[in-house]
Amino acid sequence: MTRKLWQSPWGAPEAALFVAAIILVGFLLQLAVGSFDFALLHYPANLVALAVLAGLTALGVRMRNSLLVRWLAGIPLAVTLIVALLLFGLCMELMPQLPRLSAQTPDLSARLGLRTLTSSWPFALLYGMTLIALGITACKRLLRFSRRNIIFLCNHLGLWLLLVSAGFGAADMLRVVMHVDTGKTEWRVFNEASAALEMPIAITLNKFTMEEYPPNLTIIDRQTGADLKNTQGFFQIDPKRPAGRIGEWAITLDDYLHTAVRVRGEYSASPMPESTPAAKITARNLHTGAIRTGWVSSGGNVPEFFSVLPLDDAHLLTMAQPEPKRYASDVTIIPKDGVPIDTTLEVNKPVAVGHWMIYQYGYEAALGKLSNWSEMELVYDPWLLPAQIGMGFMAVGALLLAWNGANMGQRRSAR
Amino acid sequence: MSLSWNEFPFIALPAALCWLAAGLLACCRARSPRSVYLADALALIGIALFSAFIAAFWHALARPPLRTMGETRLWYALFLFLAGYVTYRRWNYPWLLLLSAVVATAFIAINLLKPEIHSIALKPALQSFLFIPHVIIYIIAYALFGIATLGACALLIRRRSGFDHQLLIFIDNLVHIGFGFLTLGLLLGAVWAKEAWGHYWSWDPKETLAFMTGAAYLVYIHLRSQGREDNIVIWILPAAFLLLLLSWFGTALFPGSSLHLYF
Repeated sequence: MTRKLWQSPWGAPEAALFVAAIILVGFLLQLAVGSFDFALLHYPANLVALAVLAGLTALGVRMRNSLLVRWLAGIPLAVTLIVALLLFGLCMELMPQLPRLSAQTPDLSARLGLRTLTSSWPFALLYGMTLIALGITACKRLLRFSRRNIIFLCNHLGLWLLLVSAGFGAADMLRVVMHVDTGKTEWRVFNEASAALEMPIAITLNKFTMEEYPPNLTIIDRQTGADLKNTQGFFQIDPKRPAGRIGEWAITLDDYLHTAVRVRGEYSASPMPESTPAAKITARNLHTGAIRTGWVSSGGNVPEFFSVLPLDDAHLLTMAQPEPKRYASDVTIIPKDGVPIDTTLEVNKPVAVGHWMIYQYGYEAALGKLSNWSEMELVYDPWLLPAQIGMGFMAVGALLLAWNGANMGQRRSAR
Repeated sequence: MSLSWNEFPFIALPAALCWLAAGLLACCRARSPRSVYLADALALIGIALFSAFIAAFWHALARPPLRTMGETRLWYALFLFLAGYVTYRRWNYPWLLLLSAVVATAFIAINLLKPEIHSIALKPALQSFLFIPHVIIYIIAYALFGIATLGACALLIRRRSGFDHQLLIFIDNLVHIGFGFLTLGLLLGAVWAKEAWGHYWSWDPKETLAFMTGAAYLVYIHLRSQGREDNIVIWILPAAFLLLLLSWFGTALFPGSSLHLYF
């Protein structure tokens, strides 16, 4: 006899309807009260919410033999939740997401929360439901702990911990950008309304430094000024490979000065801050045999240092601006109640001070290595540790999964 | 002399020929022990040649060749065949060796026919010790899922002439192992993102697609753990692989800016 809808035990159709109902309620709430404000979960509210979540999970674990909880912790609901989140991902992919909505009357997609999906009610409810289902599932297995459960527990508990820290910790996280001029000390950041906010950390910028890669040479159309890089290719300056080709021109690098200045039309090596890359080039046309020789330089920030090599009536050889290889701020970090730290902030090498992480962020792009200020991003994230523990569990689970994949399959076939 | 893309055809074409010959020999009906040995030898010679090219190219660039699409295709061709060869040895599916050889050759052909702009410069944000493991681990996962997808297609096509349970178990293994690698690649990316710009996940288009890809494989794994083996479950694999391909190549097709755009 076939089971009727909503007749115990529940399965996939009930899971689909239940998740659809959650999403519907979410959209109605969204229309009624606007986006879900994750900022409301600011400490200590997030601890209260976490206690509620833990209580619900504990209740579920206590009633683990009931049909309802079995269904809550079962595969049909898990799969339905994953599919729903996948569809939300698709929506996020197709609708450009906005950091926040403007005050003007937004269109329907925005009012439904589709333009700010990760702070929409349906997303928040799905997130909460996932945490409950995942938590009960993991705890049930924890009570029946055995070696065969290790992979399952690492993956499920790790994910639960990571999701909890990411969502509940979002409101406690603070990200600000501090602008510091060379030789100055700054302890304030400015929000969008230009109001100053005092930080518990002050930063002195002793020096900003930048190293650059040897630049590329490209051919420019003299009439239109268009860079022909995409059709003709480019020549990457590399003293180890002095010969190359752009379009119909064979290029030879005769001399390369990474930091040069131009004096009376000639380039010479110089460590001056304003110095620019300069290359002496011989270009030979592969069809006509015409040969052009001369210096090419992007000029850096000094117009007088700029130079191009005319190839023929229609084309010029030019040097692109060099790309940054490494940029760093030599700083002194002064915590409000601590000893000053002399250090270097660099991309990919942040410095941790208590619950704060300090990152190299930006510089005056137009001035490049001559930039007389630097920006640091200060990130306060007290929930980082539980997130990292969760990720650690997941990493162990993933390694064991990769190692045991075959065994799991064999076990299933034996069943 | 240092190696460049100019030398690529002279190494890649012999390697591809070795791989295809190994695949054909393995699939040959009248297999003798000698032809099996020869297939092994050819496969390994091709792998050695291709690995040598990558190593020399890495040395010439003075950075890992992982920055452009062309460069990631090098690794994909190698790891796809390598994964195909290892699984052929482990499970004795000769057709798999041939298929992985054909697909790897197709990737080599794309690199030969559509060489892309290459540059020696590596942006500061990409200069991290996590860069190489992040990309290589993802590529291993892609290769495993690629083979699982081929297996799923074979299963769907041959379904009428009887269901191959051994093949399904083999596909399950690949998906589980691949998902392990996918998770590791994702976690390494998250740790790196935290180091580079202070947030481990920012829903940029490539991350969103990676999430969708992972979710799709997760659906497969959960449904299979219930013992389901109907066509709907098998069809998840080609669909998930489509998402995987989109996350790999297709990020630029979608609105929104991505930190992961190749150039």
